[in-house]
Amino acid sequence: MKNIVIGRYIPGNGFLYKLDPRTKILAMLILMIATFVINNITYMVVAIGLIIVILLFSRISIKRVYLGLRPLMFLLIFTFTFQIIFNQQGELLQAWPIYYSFLTLGLGAALVLTWGFTKKFVRFKLLYFLLLLVGLGAVFTNLDTYYVFAQGHLRIYSEGLSMSLFIMMRLIIVVTLSTMLTITTKPTDLNLGLEYVLAPLKIIRVNAEEIAMIISISLRYIPTLLDEANKIMMAQASRGVDFQEGKFKEKIMQIVSLLVPMFIISFKRSDELANAMEARSFVPGRARTRLHVLTWKRMDIFVLTISLSLLTLSIVLRVMA
Amino acid sequence: MAIKFERVSYQYQGHDEKAYLALSDINVNIEKTGEFITLIGETGSGKTTLVQHMNALLQPSEGRVHIFGLKIDRNTKKEGKVKLNPIRKKVGLVFQFPEYQLFEETVEKDIMFGPKNFGISQKKALELAKRMIKVVGLDESYLSRSPFNLSGGEKKRVSIAGILAMEPDILILDEPTSGLDPIGRNALLKVFYDIHKTLNKTVIIITHDMNTVYEYAKRVLVMREGVLVFDGSPLALFSRKNIENWNLDIPDIVKLKTALSEKFNINIEDSPRSREALFKSIKAVIKP
Repeated sequence: MKNIVIGRYIPGNGFLYKLDPRTKILAMLILMIATFVINNITYMVVAIGLIIVILLFSRISIKRVYLGLRPLMFLLIFTFTFQIIFNQQGELLQAWPIYYSFLTLGLGAALVLTWGFTKKFVRFKLLYFLLLLVGLGAVFTNLDTYYVFAQGHLRIYSEGLSMSLFIMMRLIIVVTLSTMLTITTKPTDLNLGLEYVLAPLKIIRVNAEEIAMIISISLRYIPTLLDEANKIMMAQASRGVDFQEGKFKEKIMQIVSLLVPMFIISFKRSDELANAMEARSFVPGRARTRLHVLTWKRMDIFVLTISLSLLTLSIVLRVMA
Repeated sequence: MAIKFERVSYQYQGHDEKAYLALSDINVNIEKTGEFITLIGETGSGKTTLVQHMNALLQPSEGRVHIFGLKIDRNTKKEGKVKLNPIRKKVGLVFQFPEYQLFEETVEKDIMFGPKNFGISQKKALELAKRMIKVVGLDESYLSRSPFNLSGGEKKRVSIAGILAMEPDILILDEPTSGLDPIGRNALLKVFYDIHKTLNKTVIIITHDMNTVYEYAKRVLVMREGVLVFDGSPLALFSRKNIENWNLDIPDIVKLKTALSEKFNINIEDSPRSREALFKSIKAVIKP
């Protein structure tokens, strides 16, 4: 539970750390839009290259970003395979016949089962999962026997391939950009930055300060609540709740015995926090002075200019093509 | 020997990936019956971590804990050979904050939750609930109430009843009297002492109250920065010179005894442990 990287700030001193949080938020948004404008695979690869250069330049460890990406890997592989199999636009690149026979179905099931049982012992789980997919493909496309009772086709089209690559790369870029933002920005700075960036919403009577406060408080409380959950699980384990085992009915009871105290404690905590904030004269919506006033520096203007020009470039390239 | 610590160390993983040593090189033996132990030390000295090892909620990073003949070490959970759940029936641990365990609709169901998890029948569990609610000093009318509408002290009593209903061999209580008024505190301490006396069970209490330690404990364990610095009788502890270094108070009775001797030259030879015993000793010295 302690390995959750979402929204985690890691102290450092690269150039991204020195930027104004508003710059970082805006640049992130601009670059995200740019990745959705790009529709050429070459430019996409260039974009990923650029991101890696920024990562290296700002001395963020690539391993950290990879850890942030890891929970998404299954989603990535899932969308990738679905796009490849079901998107049938563009020209046909490659086609294989698929044989549904007792042999292939049996072998396929056996493969999935062995994967399910052995994955615990393999260190590179993702690679192992890919291996399973490749193995399944090989079984269904190559083995044919006399008992084929249905036949299908696995066709890969150019659009399907490029779309799946696009989706994958876009997701990677979007997640990497947001990880970069949270790794290099203190929660308080992030809060301040969000307040400024969301300020225009006041026109439609949305209070940006409150939204920013809500976001930063929720981020702040993720580790605290995980800690509480851990304590509750221990207290219930002391009363004979075995969170590892149990039948379905017991499982429900286990979850209830965790969730009810969890809710009660969160309500109590938020109540206490509200009182503590009020005791320090916090009034929602009232104008507050700042201890740290954000200032634009030359670097910020430089970064924003570059991001905007990258966005313009991507739009121009798309219109030209 | 019910619980035996052999060179036990425990590391918490800090948020900045630095390891934080919560226990270091603990060696201690706890008998199955007849012990009344208090565990004291400043906040953050590792008391709670230590007792969480006693019913295998935590597994040591180094060394071994033997609990009723079962060996618990760093690999226990991974190997999965030792069933940890039965240990928790034998060693009952009451957490400091009742909010962590109360969750049922009624107090009755909540007290019955523990026993039922260990396979005790509905009927027997109900009997236990009715008995234990009285043991902790509440009456049967509480059984039908919601545990969330109780006062802090009542919640605490209900959570203790929930563990008592499991009828553990060894009872461990993490600051059971914090948040109680003095009368309720003394009544509850009496309850634990009675359980220890009548059933000859081992009871371990974490506390900050030196009067409790001095009056009730047969044995005191003192933790300081993850190290067990003292293991012996309360008399031996409070006759030591350097206990202020451990941030411990002197019990009121000991203070009074020293003051009597210094200011009024009344020297009491024996070491009375309770208020009544002290009065008796003073009378015996003054009268003749």
